[in-house]
Amino acid sequence: MKRLRLDRWTSPLLAARPAPCPASRPRAALRPTTAASAFSRGTAVRYQSTDTTPEEHIAAPQEDYDDGTDHVRFPPLEKLPPGAASLPSPPPERALRSAKLAALKARLALPDRVPLQTLARALVDASADQNRLFNNSSLAFVGQTFINYHVSEWLLCRYPRLPMKILYAAMKGYAGPISLHHVARSWGIEHAAAPGGEVDPGLLQFSMHKPGDAFVALGYRRSEADHLKHNKWRHSLSNSVVFDDDFGDLIDTQDQADKMRARPDTEYGNEYTRMLAENAYATCVRAVVGTLYAHAGREPAKAFVKAHILARTLEIERLFSFKHPTRELSMLCAREDFEAPVARLLSETGRLSRTPVYNVGIFSGGDKLGEGAAASLDHARAKAAMNALMSWYLYSPGENVSVPSDMLEDGAKPWTPAYIDMGEVVGR
Amino acid sequence: MTIKALQQISAGRNGVGAFILQCKRMDFHYCDWAGSSKGMNGFIKSLLPKFTAAHPQVEFSISPRPRKHPVIVAHYINGHSRSQCVRNLEPYSILQKAEELRDASGEPLRRVTKPVQSANPSVRGVWSPYHGEGMKV
Repeated sequence: MKRLRLDRWTSPLLAARPAPCPASRPRAALRPTTAASAFSRGTAVRYQSTDTTPEEHIAAPQEDYDDGTDHVRFPPLEKLPPGAASLPSPPPERALRSAKLAALKARLALPDRVPLQTLARALVDASADQNRLFNNSSLAFVGQTFINYHVSEWLLCRYPRLPMKILYAAMKGYAGPISLHHVARSWGIEHAAAPGGEVDPGLLQFSMHKPGDAFVALGYRRSEADHLKHNKWRHSLSNSVVFDDDFGDLIDTQDQADKMRARPDTEYGNEYTRMLAENAYATCVRAVVGTLYAHAGREPAKAFVKAHILARTLEIERLFSFKHPTRELSMLCAREDFEAPVARLLSETGRLSRTPVYNVGIFSGGDKLGEGAAASLDHARAKAAMNALMSWYLYSPGENVSVPSDMLEDGAKPWTPAYIDMGEVVGR
Repeated sequence: MTIKALQQISAGRNGVGAFILQCKRMDFHYCDWAGSSKGMNGFIKSLLPKFTAAHPQVEFSISPRPRKHPVIVAHYINGHSRSQCVRNLEPYSILQKAEELRDASGEPLRRVTKPVQSANPSVRGVWSPYHGEGMKV
């Protein structure tokens, strides 16, 4: 079989040409219509494209932004290409001269096949530059599907008995926007005060004054979303698997736009602007993974996700919150044909004092399923039941479980079947 | 529905998985005229090219600071910065200072009294009075 030339596949990324976008636009219905109309091709023609440039744009470049600085006394550090300051994001050729960008690439140990121009593009949010040939939304879409796939397959193989709610929370704990924001901060990525063509390409660029329309999540806006939110309609978990995003959260763009309009324009921003900034950082991490996948291939990108996202620590036992632990434990024992669970007092101290401690164990026949100590008998029994349930749900075949994507490598070891659990004890 | 999820955020452990050098930018300031910058000027001419080539993950900037002592300012990923005055130092002493700044984490200096610091729970568990043989009085 001929060797696949990945570097040839990705050449269209470098030679971005202002051609009509392909017809398949995921979540096209979600896009605000204003964004599509605001992107007018005439004003957004870019000189830096590898295509032939129309003559009139070369002849009459737009005036650079002039802030009144005396450029004779304070010469600019870098000579900008003509018209660069009027562009919404830095021209790609400036990426080769950015010290920040080169340092970021070396810090992340990205291979040489990842060009600096694409890495610079991964730092431009959709809110900074609406042109999808120059912002990171397409890279981020690739990156988020890649990250979420690897995180979910690893969680499913490592903890096969996690309930769906906890699985979603664990997914969000590893690959959610807040976690990825922390990842981007730990890479030393800084953001520019405002996006623009004159900004250093090594800075993350996003706008807090107009929200971007990047789609970096799969899912649909439900027609009944308002009722779900305001009237607290119930919706099942299997329902959210179909409709909601990868973390089981409702997709509600209309609500976000309303919030944006109601935003008070303070100097330091508010909760909503912080959320925008967090999302821009998270999108940037996804776009970096997408860049790596596009230029270096699957295995380096997988190793990168493993090293930067899965190597973080999340205490999964702290995600659980039980409402009726004893009831759930007896249902579990009934399902698994264990004897019915019985709580027995193992030891106690200070029953008549102000601080009694009871140590209660839960037994199924001769087997102790769990134990807990608390200041009241009821509480101790509940804690024991929670411990027993937790040890059931957190069963793990081992630390280094093999995942299905291991089989895609050349010369992979033979597949050892993953443990498949029959499902949750109590469904919704 | 008996199980609810309490959202938690994963915590990064630098060096587990990937290692990121915490020093992200170093500024070298010198003066062309003053004598206290003599060593710094020699350092910039002779040793700095090799130092920068060895650390591609750090952004370097060199700028004059006329009529002032030479100084190295290091900026760290956690947002802190540390500056080191290198007046009247030899080039190799300046290299040593630069390496110290490179290796620092950016955290404020603290006295370490415990031999091991860990964010992980103890493997053996906490001692419990309700288990085992107990203590004979």
